[in-house]
Amino acid sequence: MQSSLEIKNCELYRQHEQLLSLNEQVKGGEILTIMGPSGSGKSSLLNWLTGTLPNGFNASGEVWLNGENINTLPAHLRHIGVLYQDALLFSHLSVSGNIAFAMPKGNKKQRLEKIEHALEQVGLKGMASRHPDNLSGGQQARVALLRMLLSEPKAILLDEPFSKLDTQLRVDTRELVFSQIREHKLPAIMVTHDHSDAEAANGKLITLNLAK
Amino acid sequence: MLANKFWQTLSRYSLCFVAFCICLVISFKSLASTQLQSRWQHVESLGKDQSVYFYAWGGDAQINAYIQWAAQQVKTNYNINLVHVKLSDTSEAVSRVLAEKSANNNDKGSVDLIWINGANFATMSEHSLLLKQWANKLPNFNYTDPSNNPAVNFDFGIPTNGMEAPWGQASLTFYYDSLAIDGTANNTLPTTLNQLLSWSAQNPGRFSYPKPPDFLGMSFLKYALVMLHQQSDDTLKAQLNQPATTQNTAQVLNPLWNFLNKLHPTLWRDGSHFMQSGAQMRRLVGDTELSIAFTFSAPEVPAAVKRYDLPKSIRSYAMQDGSLSNTHFVAIPYNASHAQSAQLVANFLLSPEAQAHKQKPSVWGDKSVLIQSTLSQEQQALFKTVEPHPSALPLNSIKRTLSEPHPSWVNAIMQGWQARFGVSQ
Amino acid sequence: MSVASNKLAASPTLKPHKSADIFSKLVKLSPRFLLALLILPVIGGLISVLLPAFGYAPVLEHTTLGLHGFTMLMQTPGLTHMVMLSVGTGLISTLLAFIITLMILAAFFNSPWLNRIQRLLSPILVIPHAAAAIAVGFLIAPSGMISRLVSPWFSGWELAPNGMFPHDSFGISIILGLTLKELPFLLLMALGVLAQPELGKKLRQQHKVALNLGYCPMTAFFKVILPSLYPLLRLPILAVLAYASASVEMPLILGPNTPPTLAVAIMHWFNDVDLNLRIKASAGALLQLVLSGGLLALWLGGEKTIKALFSDLLTNGEREYGGVYWQKITTVLTVFAISFILLSLIGLIMWSVAGFWRFPAALPEQLTLLHFKSALMQMQSPLFNTLAIGLVTTLFAIIITLLCLESEQLSAKPLSRFTSLIIYVPLLVPSIAFLFGLVWLQQLVNNQAAFFNVVFTHLLFVLPYVFLSLASSYRRLDPRFAHVAASLGATPCKVFLHVKLPQLFAPILIAAALGLAISFGQYLPTLLAGGGRIATITTEAVTLANGASRRTSAVYAIMQMALPLIGFILAWVLPKYFFKSAHR
Repeated sequence: MQSSLEIKNCELYRQHEQLLSLNEQVKGGEILTIMGPSGSGKSSLLNWLTGTLPNGFNASGEVWLNGENINTLPAHLRHIGVLYQDALLFSHLSVSGNIAFAMPKGNKKQRLEKIEHALEQVGLKGMASRHPDNLSGGQQARVALLRMLLSEPKAILLDEPFSKLDTQLRVDTRELVFSQIREHKLPAIMVTHDHSDAEAANGKLITLNLAK
Repeated sequence: MLANKFWQTLSRYSLCFVAFCICLVISFKSLASTQLQSRWQHVESLGKDQSVYFYAWGGDAQINAYIQWAAQQVKTNYNINLVHVKLSDTSEAVSRVLAEKSANNNDKGSVDLIWINGANFATMSEHSLLLKQWANKLPNFNYTDPSNNPAVNFDFGIPTNGMEAPWGQASLTFYYDSLAIDGTANNTLPTTLNQLLSWSAQNPGRFSYPKPPDFLGMSFLKYALVMLHQQSDDTLKAQLNQPATTQNTAQVLNPLWNFLNKLHPTLWRDGSHFMQSGAQMRRLVGDTELSIAFTFSAPEVPAAVKRYDLPKSIRSYAMQDGSLSNTHFVAIPYNASHAQSAQLVANFLLSPEAQAHKQKPSVWGDKSVLIQSTLSQEQQALFKTVEPHPSALPLNSIKRTLSEPHPSWVNAIMQGWQARFGVSQ
Repeated sequence: MSVASNKLAASPTLKPHKSADIFSKLVKLSPRFLLALLILPVIGGLISVLLPAFGYAPVLEHTTLGLHGFTMLMQTPGLTHMVMLSVGTGLISTLLAFIITLMILAAFFNSPWLNRIQRLLSPILVIPHAAAAIAVGFLIAPSGMISRLVSPWFSGWELAPNGMFPHDSFGISIILGLTLKELPFLLLMALGVLAQPELGKKLRQQHKVALNLGYCPMTAFFKVILPSLYPLLRLPILAVLAYASASVEMPLILGPNTPPTLAVAIMHWFNDVDLNLRIKASAGALLQLVLSGGLLALWLGGEKTIKALFSDLLTNGEREYGGVYWQKITTVLTVFAISFILLSLIGLIMWSVAGFWRFPAALPEQLTLLHFKSALMQMQSPLFNTLAIGLVTTLFAIIITLLCLESEQLSAKPLSRFTSLIIYVPLLVPSIAFLFGLVWLQQLVNNQAAFFNVVFTHLLFVLPYVFLSLASSYRRLDPRFAHVAASLGATPCKVFLHVKLPQLFAPILIAAALGLAISFGQYLPTLLAGGGRIATITTEAVTLANGASRRTSAVYAIMQMALPLIGFILAWVLPKYFFKSAHR
């Protein structure tokens, strides 16, 4: 069955002000780009999708993932991976520890092999035991990507993930992320300020206006 | 004729001589009393306008209030600031003076006046920590009829040597909750030591005594010891008034240990834990955890009822077989900073008005040490009594007084108690 | 002008032109002064206990060194029990408080309940140990609130039953009292760490990441937040452990006496009329030091062991450990803890206004203000002493702290790690171990100034808290304000007084309120340094706690709680009216 992420009649409110309303479907391997000025509710939308909407916001509508209504599921059971602006790597674990943390339970040796393999694939060979704080911005972003991918998510959300990287790094990392998304055929939603991101995503683009 | 003249001259001379002697005696006496008077005036002039730090047990609100009253009086009379330093145990003050002596502080001591008797007095006297020969020179000391009253010259059998001035008298009396001891079978009020033991066996967990070396706990043990030896032969009984030695300790104390071995399993908390003080024991009666308790200060019971700390159903009584009695004193450390001021305060505490005020049940109720026959009519009038409180000890309840054993027995009992019961098994 | 300000903007430090400036000199000396103030009394006190312990006590004409102090100690009946009691109650209460804190944090991490619990428990923090012990004692006694609530309809008791609490020989009452007192402290310390802007934000985001990766909230807390949070909590936990194992007030009021804990026994020996016991007491103080030190080492060792054992667990991918189950248990525990605390407080308040209140009535038969009235008449002098000592101590502490923190900024070097650790020294060394020695030293130096001695001793315990409270706010001051002021010609002294202090008005008031609360609650320091001549509300409360009147001791306990609360209310209200611009 093809994977898909559906947003049905979502209406997002901050206090009593309506921020946005959305009704979309994203198929596996496709990237939906959402752009809009600050305060238009982009990040809040992602929060609502992952089930971590903070106090002061409410929303109505439903989220359907792979044909199942996940509205009632708590955040940790939704299997939706998120990439943030900051890599947010855990500083008490090494690079391989961060990635292993995200992986499902399994044989220790097999997991280590998988991690090594994945690191090699993104050009971080041999960095498994490095401490995250000692990595450059680009390296951290790649580890964060691996961490998210190896948790075997069913959908992916990107919250301005490339905005802290400089231009060339940005292009490379973006390519990496998008190719992974397409390869794993996961539905993805990206929130960004940058038009070049939208172009590279090559999917549907929605622009939100500031609330009336 | 010559013999007559001789006798006449002789009688005249002897008359003169006698008159001369009488004059001498009178002048010596008035000299002495003026000496005494001028000595006292000297003390008064040196002692006024200063502070006196009075180290006294502070666990009873009534006593604290009385000391505040006394402070107001000496402030008015002598402009003395009496500061009541509240102790939870008199030994704290003894330690303090000792520490000061060791630090060679011989004239600026922090303790000016100390409320004391018994073992603490014995310790301070032994280590030469007290000012000597001042108490017998207080003007008001005469009201205690010292030449006929061993109670004010001996503290647990040890001579005071003018080191402490008497303050009040106390007897061991009991009180109970009339709702808990209702007179039904197996629950009648015990009035002798043996009745207490059988009552406790029939009503376990409702009686206890404070943990030695608490003063009240020790007093109960001494009462038991004295009662247990009532039937002993005279030589054994006499040992109680002699110092405790390695030879007589076992023989004298064995009856006590046998008695306690029978009593402890019937006690509150199975005798594995003893409350820390008499005050706590009183609180446990108020909490209805205990049915019977005892005290050295009978007036504290009705006072507690008036303050709601004990229920209205409390009644006081004295044991028929005897009540342990003693006198308590105030003493001045050898290094007191304000020795004269302290003497002024001690003298005031001995005055008829202070003693009468102290004896009032509504104030403290502590029995006065003054002998009524030495007082004038108007001084005697100060001591008139009022209608007693229902929870108070009825007048003349104490039929028989028992005098305190030698203070060395306190230590002997304590060592023995600690060894046998000090650590719960 | 722009060149000058560029220069200043570029240089990270602000070097005063005239180092002969009095203010700068003062500031420069203050860290060393702080260190001396904290280390010397503790070390001096320890040495003054060390010597008698080995037999050197000129007081008693013992001048030969030897081990008879320790032999006497070893022969004390029940010594093993005393030691087990001290160690057991200290360790178990700290463990319980720590575990429950973690569970509460884990279960309510993202929930608004955490804030509510914080607000509920914050006032409890300032309740002195003595008042807390009194309140808990009222609760668990056979005639206490809990028994009354179930009697006689459920239990059938018409007279108070034969009970175990308080004063049980296992120390359960002590553990209960200590846990209920330390739990809010640890929880609020952790929340304080989480409230730091950068760290808190980072941790919350990482928690969110873990949730997204499939970890249930409680597991996410233990595997992601705890490893980063724990190092910052380590010192407060060690302080709690050290205090709990050597506490005097709690075991005195709630503990057994056959035998008591080691600390209480040591205190009794020092106060005993028989002066030879002082040598035993000094030996005991050393033993206590070893015990508390051993417990700290045990905890640190345990920490390392757990880290080693569970490091694999962090990354094994196990996401669920029965989280829902644990959440329910935590909720029940939290409700229990909070209701215990509330019930003891309610009981305390009722006792303070109770007329006759015979067991098993749940409410007093009549209410009266007699107890407050008579207590207030007796309380004037202790109240005055309490306030005077508190204000002087706190003022001094705040001035020294501010000068030290300012020196940090003027020299552009943070206070060395050594200094940061030394600040904790008075909290980690059991006070019973060095206070007696310190008092003896004070007697040698000057005997009469009891007030000064008490203030000095209080300072040792107030300084750490005031410093820790002010440090974070001070260090977060925007340095650009100072730079701008300097560029306008202000001396460092002026900058300090007119720029930095007004910005810090609210944090200074909070630190002051905290310092006052600590000073108000001190028992052993006041008792010993003042020679018993200086009565404060706390010393009176402890004397009365095991006394004859629950009602009077309830009144004193309430006064003990009310005083710090007033300080905090002022700290909350005043910034709204003064230096309003400083309040962001």
